[in-house]
Formats: sequence, structure tokens, C-alpha cells
Amino acid sequence: MQQHLGRQDGVQKVEVSLLDGKVQVALKEDGRVDPARLIRAVYDSGVTVAEMDMIARGHIVKDSSGGIALQTQPNQSFAIVPNDLSSGLESLAGTPAEATVHGELYKKPAGKKKPDPNAPLRLLILEVVKKEP
Amino acid sequence: MKKRKLALLLLLGSVLPAVSEAQIKHIEMRVEGMT
Repeated sequence: MQQHLGRQDGVQKVEVSLLDGKVQVALKEDGRVDPARLIRAVYDSGVTVAEMDMIARGHIVKDSSGGIALQTQPNQSFAIVPNDLSSGLESLAGTPAEATVHGELYKKPAGKKKPDPNAPLRLLILEVVKKEP
Repeated sequence: MKKRKLALLLLLGSVLPAVSEAQIKHIEMRVEGMT
């Protein structure tokens, strides 16, 4: 799994803790990484992703469904799951302001439902680290 | 015409750095089924 992940674009280093199953992915300076590809790379190595968290900085934009999304690159954005924290970001939509957030991008479905590594990733905000005007 | 070009340059100068700073800083996963 470490090798599969290490080959992905934007990945600098992968640290795996066998004790608790935690995988820390150190990213290259430009931060150009596709989390969905990382999930698929883990599945390809025969391991199941239970959760994926990320810390990201980006602009808040309106998405096509009327909700908001975090845009981390001109061609990369993550739809934000509405919650109390996300409502505090709505006023930033369409402004040049940036937000740094800690959020959950993926969680394995509960029960016996088979996980789908190709399911679209949605960002559940766990913490708003910083808002910058 | 020069004023328009200057205004465009100023606009790009203020927008592009903001876009380039936006990025994923850190990723952490919890995995199951490791042997």
C-alpha cells in the first residue's frame, strides 16, 4: 500500500502505523494531489479505507446544486456537507477570501454495505482553522 | 489601451497568487485489512 500511494502525483512521503491503521500522507509543496486517486490506490493494494481526513486551504464557491464547495485548485473542488460550521463559511462564497479547514472527505459506509472507492468525495467540515479576507 | 492592460495585469497579479496558495495541506487516512 505504501508503494501504491507513494507513486501517486503530489505524494512526497507515506507513513503507515500498523498499530492503529493510521496512514499519514506528506504532500509535495504544490499540494496538487487527488484524494480520490489515493483512495483507489489503497483499494488497489487490497486494503480498505475506513476514513480520510484532510486539511486544505481554498476559496468557498457556490456549486451547481446550490450548495457550497471548497475550491483548492482551479480544477479541483469538494462539495461541502451542510452543518453548523459550513453555514459560517457561506458568506465567503464568491469572495476572494480563503478558508483553511479540517474536514472528513470519506467515511466507509456503515454495516455490510460494500464501499465504493469511486463515490464522489464530499467534505464534512470538522473545524474551521482559519478565515482570511 | 495601456490603462486597460495595466488594469488587467493588476487584476491577474492579485488573483493568481491567491489561487496558487489554495491547496491541500495534509491528508490522513485510517485503513482496515492491513496484514
